[in-house]
Amino acid sequence: MILKKINIEGLKREDPEIIPSLERRDFLKLGLLITGVFAGGSILSATSIVGKAFASGREFSEKYPYKPHYSMVVHQDRCIDCELCMTACVKTNNVPSYGYRTQVLEREDRKAVERTREFIPVLCNQCNNPPCVLGCPTKATYKSPANGIVMMESKKCIGCKTCMAACPYNARYFNEETRAVDKCDFCFNSRLSKGEKLTACAAACPAKARIFGDLSDAGSEVFRTVHNLEKTVWVLRPEAGAKPNVFYTKG
Amino acid sequence: MRMKQLSVLIIILAVAMVATVYEGRSVAEEEMVGGGEIIYSKPVKAVLFSHKSHAAMGLDCNACHDKLFQMEALSAQNKPDFTMKGLYDKKYCGSCHAKDGMAFASDTQCARCHIGTKGFNKASKQAKK
Repeated sequence: MILKKINIEGLKREDPEIIPSLERRDFLKLGLLITGVFAGGSILSATSIVGKAFASGREFSEKYPYKPHYSMVVHQDRCIDCELCMTACVKTNNVPSYGYRTQVLEREDRKAVERTREFIPVLCNQCNNPPCVLGCPTKATYKSPANGIVMMESKKCIGCKTCMAACPYNARYFNEETRAVDKCDFCFNSRLSKGEKLTACAAACPAKARIFGDLSDAGSEVFRTVHNLEKTVWVLRPEAGAKPNVFYTKG
Repeated sequence: MRMKQLSVLIIILAVAMVATVYEGRSVAEEEMVGGGEIIYSKPVKAVLFSHKSHAAMGLDCNACHDKLFQMEALSAQNKPDFTMKGLYDKKYCGSCHAKDGMAFASDTQCARCHIGTKGFNKASKQAKK
């Protein structure tokens, strides 16, 4: 085997520091094109997002060019756990007392400086790669090809709870009355399909902690937040590979 | 001999009594500085105001009473301007908790004062005990 002689001295360096800004920008645009979404931060976070956390590959967006592409951005530091969102959700979607479609988690860090408490609103992440849908044996839960919402067709549900076990976000509960698993559908059945623009929780939030909108609309607040390189945006449990449509940020 | 035993007993008893009284006072003091811990539940659940931590910073009663807050606990939350907007207008807590005030501004560190519905429930559970 003959190895080509490599001129080490003449090689171009390829680390991020020396990528010229124009090239960088092209790269970021490319990231946007491929994924539809990337999070703010460094060029490194953008690369990691393309494959892992945020949206899906080109194949996916070609197959499901959602319009609208419903999404939520949660401003985690704004949540004060007043739970008006939960109250509104329960009322709007007839959620029984033992169930939930959205929750507010609490985290306390006694060693933190100044503020030691943090509240984290959670709900179904309407994943692009939903493990619940993959797990459902009867196709009772499915991802809407129209708007990307992960829906339930409760009459097909056999109550096996595979979806509940598969969900990385603990976003599902078994409804004893309907004998079917129930979950957040971004208020599609109760509000969006009737012409409302916001989910009940987003409309009820007094602190603008939950921003709901259309990720395919470049003018929407969700788009402008998620695509803002000045902002750090993340998703919960990216390692699950579910590619969620609920994003988190602070500030 | 018997006398000596008795006096030892008396001394022990006396020490124990003094200790109990002292302990009792310190516990009471810890729980009640001024009006104790005030938990507002309106207009949202819930906000914790600690007399203790504010007094520990060297504020005396008339720093806030009666101008910013009436002596009667929770009377502020019945006023229509007891809102974040009111605070931004330098009313109530916003008198000090402002950008140019002496404490962190009202529009920062939300969950430092807001203990939420969970905090409210925890506190009322504790109060029942």
